Amino acid sequence: MFNISQDFAPPFKLIAPYFRIGTFFYLAASVLVMFFGADIFHLDVYVLSWVHLFLLGFVMMTMLGAMAQLIPVVLEVGHFSVGVFYFIWPLLLLGMLMLVAGFYMAPALLPYGGAVVLVSIIIFVTDALLTLRKTEKLGSIAIRGILLPNVFLLAGLIVGIVMALGFTGAITIDIHSWLLGHVYLLLGGYVIITVMGLSLILLPMFGLSHGFSERPINLAMWLISFGVIAVAMGAILGISSLKILGFLLSFSAVTVYFYQLWIIYKTRARKEHDVWASSMYVAFVSMLVSMVFGAVYLLGGEHKYLLSAFWVLFYGLFGFVIIGHLYKIVPFLVWFERFSPLVGKQKVPMLADMVPTRAAGFQFWLSLTGAVICLAGFLGSSDLVFKSGAAFLIMGALVLVHNVRFMMNFKEGL
Amino acid sequence: MSATKDDIYAAIATVIDPEVGFNLVAMGLIYDASCNEEKGAKVTMTLSTKACPLHQMIVTWVKEAVTKIDGVDSCEVELVWEPPWNISMADEDVIKALGGM
Ligand code: HEM
Repeated sequence: MFNISQDFAPPFKLIAPYFRIGTFFYLAASVLVMFFGADIFHLDVYVLSWVHLFLLGFVMMTMLGAMAQLIPVVLEVGHFSVGVFYFIWPLLLLGMLMLVAGFYMAPALLPYGGAVVLVSIIIFVTDALLTLRKTEKLGSIAIRGILLPNVFLLAGLIVGIVMALGFTGAITIDIHSWLLGHVYLLLGGYVIITVMGLSLILLPMFGLSHGFSERPINLAMWLISFGVIAVAMGAILGISSLKILGFLLSFSAVTVYFYQLWIIYKTRARKEHDVWASSMYVAFVSMLVSMVFGAVYLLGGEHKYLLSAFWVLFYGLFGFVIIGHLYKIVPFLVWFERFSPLVGKQKVPMLADMVPTRAAGFQFWLSLTGAVICLAGFLGSSDLVFKSGAAFLIMGALVLVHNVRFMMNFKEGL
Repeated sequence: MSATKDDIYAAIATVIDPEVGFNLVAMGLIYDASCNEEKGAKVTMTLSTKACPLHQMIVTWVKEAVTKIDGVDSCEVELVWEPPWNISMADEDVIKALGGM
């Protein structure tokens, strides 16, 4: 019955850098927000540079760390080669820094930075596929949470590299029509599908929900996959009707996904309001709000609605969904490493004891206040309002860095 | 003399799920327990989620706790998913504590 291999759980020191670096770049990105104006243009080199810092340095870095831990849990087998995770983060970090520098001042670096990122992701995907082969359980979770998003990730990166070659002038393409394909493949196909896939494991696990139907998520996955493919193809081939079809499919996917979230919420047994639960509310409400801003922009709204849609997506959905889970995953990893061998021999802390509750609450409110004020800055086109929001974001990020360190260094009772 | 079902439940009640903060018996995760003449105990249990990262460990802790009983030499744990666990299987005070706002 039990044939779970010894290397089932990857060692803490292997995963810790992903979360340390991820939170560091969340702080760095928040500091850099200070230099935005409320009327930034999304294709400004500074903005392009910042977007890749935030998405690769914070979002992808933490998501890869979480995947390193979750893949074996979900598939019930150890990684094919867990050691590759020692190489993935340095490559991702290097590639990200090259992209960031490339956008800001040295376009020639872009294709090289892109290639380095691609190599790190190919390593990750190869390990994931070989791990999948070790299991007979190629169930829907594996496909939803692992296979599908990573196919879109690879496609999006390749499109990015082609664009980077265009950006440097090495080839002639219409970057702006490819841009939507790149953004949609990566944000919709990779980040959002990963969030959808993992939420179906993590929300019921932490909320103790049981006996709910998974039909909505399966439908949502189909809809969003076709939506992403349609938008990407429509953008690259320049077929407007395909793009519109893709947008409609994506909107319906999110609607169906919300129905799924609702039934998980209704069947949950655990109703405590910890920082994780509060963060999930903010994250999912942000997803809806972002969609509304996106729709307003697509229906002919001003540029500020596009900025607002992305802002709420980045600091609302991505920020809160990731940070909320750090308060669950980091204590777990540390506990597993340091305290689990002591179970039965001495008193060990509960996971909840390892979260600095008050400081986590501060971080939550500071980050939320900051994100909302910045949004008001965009909508009201006020630099002053925007910058005061950024100040809250920076404070929230500083508290976050402190909290992650606190949890990682937790040794009480040892 | 071999251990009784109550002895085994009492031993497992010392094993706590670190995520939820309650012991496995109070959570209603233990479906059955018995011990034969040869002091071999058998525990039938489930977990609150299939994708539980503590899978192996919890089973080991149960085994360790049960084999500490005087009348038990060995312990076999059978992990089952039928019937699936749900919160109504937990003790009243656990349900209250989890559901408390
Ligand atoms: C191989 C690595 C990558 C390369 C070479 C790359 C390249 C590019 C290029 C050249 C642009 C701007 C094109 C223009 O001027 O219109 C761009 C924009 C963008 N990329 Fe990437 N990218 C990469 C990875 C990623 C990843 C992993 C994500 C998300 C997870 C991402 C998200 C975006 C977004 C959202 C934009 C639009 C930014 C804006 O309009 O402000 N990129 N990328």
